[in-house]
Formats: sequence, structure tokens, C-alpha cells
Amino acid sequence: MSQAIENAYAPPLAGKPPVALDRPRARSKALRMLKPWLYLLPALVLLGIWMYRPLLYTFYLAFHKWSMVPGTEPLYVGLDNFSRLLQNKSFADSIGNTVFYTVLLLPFSIVIPLALAAVTHHMEGRMKNVYRALFFIPMILAPVSVSAIWRWLFHPSGGLVNVALMKLGFIDAPIAYFSDPSFAKWIILLITGWKMIGFSTIMFSAALTGINSEYYEAASQDGAGSMRQFWRITVPLMSPMIIFMLTMSILFSSQWTFAYIDILTTGGPYGTSTNVYYEMYKFAFSNLNAGFSSAASLLFFVVFGVISLALNSLSRRFSFYDN
Amino acid sequence: MKRKPPAVSVLQHGLLSLMCVIALFPLYWMLNSSFKNESDIFKSDFLPPSPILSNYSYAFEQMPILRMMFNSFGVSILMTALQLFTGLLAAYALVRWRFRGQTLIFTLLSLTWLIPFQSIMIPNYVLVNDMGMNETLMGIVLPFAVSTFAILSLYQSFQSFPKVLIEAACIDGQSDFGILTRLILPNIKSSVASLGIILFINGWNEYLWPMLITKKMENAPLQIGLKLFVNSDSNMWGSLMAATTVSCLPILIIYLLLRRQIVDSFVRFGIK
Repeated sequence: MSQAIENAYAPPLAGKPPVALDRPRARSKALRMLKPWLYLLPALVLLGIWMYRPLLYTFYLAFHKWSMVPGTEPLYVGLDNFSRLLQNKSFADSIGNTVFYTVLLLPFSIVIPLALAAVTHHMEGRMKNVYRALFFIPMILAPVSVSAIWRWLFHPSGGLVNVALMKLGFIDAPIAYFSDPSFAKWIILLITGWKMIGFSTIMFSAALTGINSEYYEAASQDGAGSMRQFWRITVPLMSPMIIFMLTMSILFSSQWTFAYIDILTTGGPYGTSTNVYYEMYKFAFSNLNAGFSSAASLLFFVVFGVISLALNSLSRRFSFYDN
Repeated sequence: MKRKPPAVSVLQHGLLSLMCVIALFPLYWMLNSSFKNESDIFKSDFLPPSPILSNYSYAFEQMPILRMMFNSFGVSILMTALQLFTGLLAAYALVRWRFRGQTLIFTLLSLTWLIPFQSIMIPNYVLVNDMGMNETLMGIVLPFAVSTFAILSLYQSFQSFPKVLIEAACIDGQSDFGILTRLILPNIKSSVASLGIILFINGWNEYLWPMLITKKMENAPLQIGLKLFVNSDSNMWGSLMAATTVSCLPILIIYLLLRRQIVDSFVRFGIK
């Protein structure tokens, strides 16, 4: 086939005169308009079916009462779900815990990793890659495997933590960490933090290597100490990465803790370790109250939406880019 | 650059080694416990005094581990393949053409980051139930057949590909699909592979959805089966740690083989 003929059907790029005659030209124009959508079609259809349709349906369910029994219809109840939700004590507790997890994860996802990355900056040699490789392992392990291991380490009678603490004389009797209200949520936080800390350190280290070292040399010639360099050079130039990790940490911490809560404590004891997502799951699949769960989802969809918009505008205002 | 005083270097290595110990100790303890017999398991020996393998054989007797591992591989590979396929096509469309509605598409894609899985799980569960796909691998995979994380990451990789080459191929009469498969893909295949690794690991570690869809061990991925085992046999810690070791092995082996690439790909694309 000659190239000229094929060329007539190839979509001309913008600004290039089409090589075809009038009628095929109209057709090829329609084809050209359609083409991107053809490529986008599989993704859009699937997103529609598995993301946006369910999201709208959840909004619809938030104003209905339904037990998800096949063959029954959701019953319209207006704002009833919302008003009962706001009076629900376990839901109120779960909001407190969600804030607890979100705020206290920040040392593990931002503060300690940033400090570690700064202290180990400019490290040379093979060891750096070895550390990087080892730090990463908790991150890639599955939540169930991780939960099983920690459950064993914190086992109420024979777990290593109890055995070691008793041998060292810190405690007299073993502690049942997962059924003690003053420990359960701290252990869940610890596990989530353990998984996060190495990953964040690597992310910050990678961002640090992008900073031109001449800034530091200039600063130290001007007599700036290392703390001053950290606050005046490292933090501002790292701000895009810091805000990125901040957003991830805040938006996803409740997701990350979900599996540990489900496997280790199922939200207990007395709801002291649950979070809002876990409550939504329990409303839906333990209490079979789809409307209640959907009302909570809708509420937190809005809350997290507002938070991420705020973080987004924060990142626009406070990010300094090194050109 | 000036050399650092040795004290600083010692401090650095000390800190990082401590971090490594913290990261790895739980894994070491899992491995250690999995070889201990019933009388040693509750003692704090750092090596099993009389190592045994029966924990492993017991775990394999109690659970269809190979079957579940097959399920896990099936689910993760299918998810990765579908997400790469839909992602490549969509990212190509977004890079290749300027068209009406493109901003809308980007908005729709970015907005999915805000949708927690818990707020779409009920309708999806009902739909999969209605389709009769409970307890099937396809039921687990389908809601994850498209990933906006994959689309946006691929979009980012595609943008690094020089536009001039695409235009040149277009003038040469290459078809649009040919430009994607014969020109762009061979050149960015390492980024696609890196992304594939992340998607695979994500699929392997998926928790909530497979748990909702599968209730029987023989239909469940390894993670869900392990959870059922954890909840049923809470005093067989030796075999539980053996099962946990087996559940970590595939990912750890993949990691051992491709660690540099995996770390780099996470650094490049982030996490979802």
C-alpha cells in the first residue's frame, strides 16, 4: 500500500493541513474527535461501573433504610440516618480515634523520617543501598501477615514483648495488650507507624538528593549551623515532598489502620481502637444497616474532601521550587 | 566536598542500623518461631533449640495453602494486567490528543483519590452478588480492573517521551495503535515494568474486598485464608508463624530479585 492512502486516514496533528478531499475530510474529522474517547473507553466504563455508580448509589442509600437483603427495596427515611448517626456514641468515639491515628501517625510518616533523611544525607557508598533495601521490607508485606506477626509478639502470655519486659523487671504480670483499652490503639498505631517509617525515610532521602549541594556549601561559608541549614534550606526546598507525604498520611491513615483493627482488635475493647472506616464496615456488614453506613461514608467523603482541598491550596501557597 | 568527622559517620550508621533492626526483627522472630516445637515456643530463645519442620507440615494440612497461593497469583496477575491495559490506553489518549472534555477526565480521575473503598463497597458488593460472582476470582478482580493510580503514573511516564518522534511516526503513516505498541511502549517499558511491580504488590496485599467476596478458604487469596487461620487456631503459634512465613515468601522472593527496581519504582510513583 502506498503511504499516501494510509496517510489520508491517519489523524493529522493539529495545525497540519489534512491531505484528503472534502468528504473523507469530514469523516476523518469525526473520527479524530472520537479517537481519544475510543482509547479512554475501557477505563471510563470501568470507572463508571465500579467507582462513580457505587458512589452515587451510596449517596442515595444514605437517605434510605436497607438491610441489603436481595429482593427488598430501600425505604426512604430522609435525614433520619444522619440524625441518628450524630447521636451514636460508638460513631462519636470512632471519630476521636480517627483523629488520634491521623495525628499520631505524623511523627512516623513525617517527623522522624525527615530527621533521619537529613541526618543521613550525603552518605556515600554501598551501605546506603543496603539500608534502603532493608527499610523497605515492612512496606511491601501484606497487612494480614504483619498482623499475625505482631499479634504473636504481643501475645498476652508467651509473647516476646511480655517475656522480655518481665525478665527486665518492668512488669510483674503479662499484659493482654489487645484487650486492654489503654494499649490496644497504641499497638495499632505502632504497627502502622512501623510499616510507614522506612518508606517515608526513603521518599525524603530521594527528595533530598535532588537539592543542589551548593546551597549547603554557600550557607556553611556564611556561617550557618546545621540546624539553621535544616530549617532554612532543607525544609523549604523539601516542602513539595513534605506536603505530598502529609496529604497521603492524612488521607490514608484511616485506610492503613483498617486491616490491623479488623484482624487484631475488631475495634475493641469497648470501641477504643476503632476508626470511622471500620465503623462504616461494621454498620454495613455486621449490623446489615446499609443506610447508616452510607450516611457515614457521605459525611466523611465531604470531610476528607475539604481536608484535601485545604492541603492542595496549602501546597500551592507554601511550595518553593528550586528552579 | 569536605570529609565528615568519623563521629558523624558512626552516628549515621548507628541510626540506620537501628532502623534496620526495627524493620527486620519481627520478620526474624516469625522465622525463628516457625521452627520451634511446642515446649520452646513460649521461651525467648533467639534460635530454636531443637528446630522442627512439623509446624510447616501442620499448616499445609490445615489449609489449602497451594490452592490459596494460586488464587493470590491469579488475582494479582489479572489485576496488574487489566490495570496496565486500561491504563496504557487511557494514558495514551490523554498524551496523544488535545480534545474537548480532557479537563473533565482529569478531574474525574483525580477525584477517585478521595473515594475511600468503604464508601463504594456496599453497591459493589450488591452488584457482584447479583452477577453471581461471589467466591470467584473474577469477582475479586473486576472492581480493580482499572486504577487511576496506574493511569496517572503512566501519563507521567508518557509525557517524558519526545512528542517529535510521535509526530514523525504519524507522518510516516504509522497507525495510532502502532505508535503506542511499536514506538512508545518499547521505549518506556522499564517504567511500565516498575509500575507493574507496584500494582502486583498492591493486588497481592489487597484485604477488605477479597475478604467480603470470599468466605471459603479454597476460593480465598492467601491473605484471607491466613486471617481465617489466625482466628481459628489461636494457640498453634508455631504453625501460624509457619503459615505467615509462607504467605510472605513470594513477595520477599520477588523483592530479593528486583529490590533496586522496586525501591526506585515506589520512589518514582509513590503509593496508593
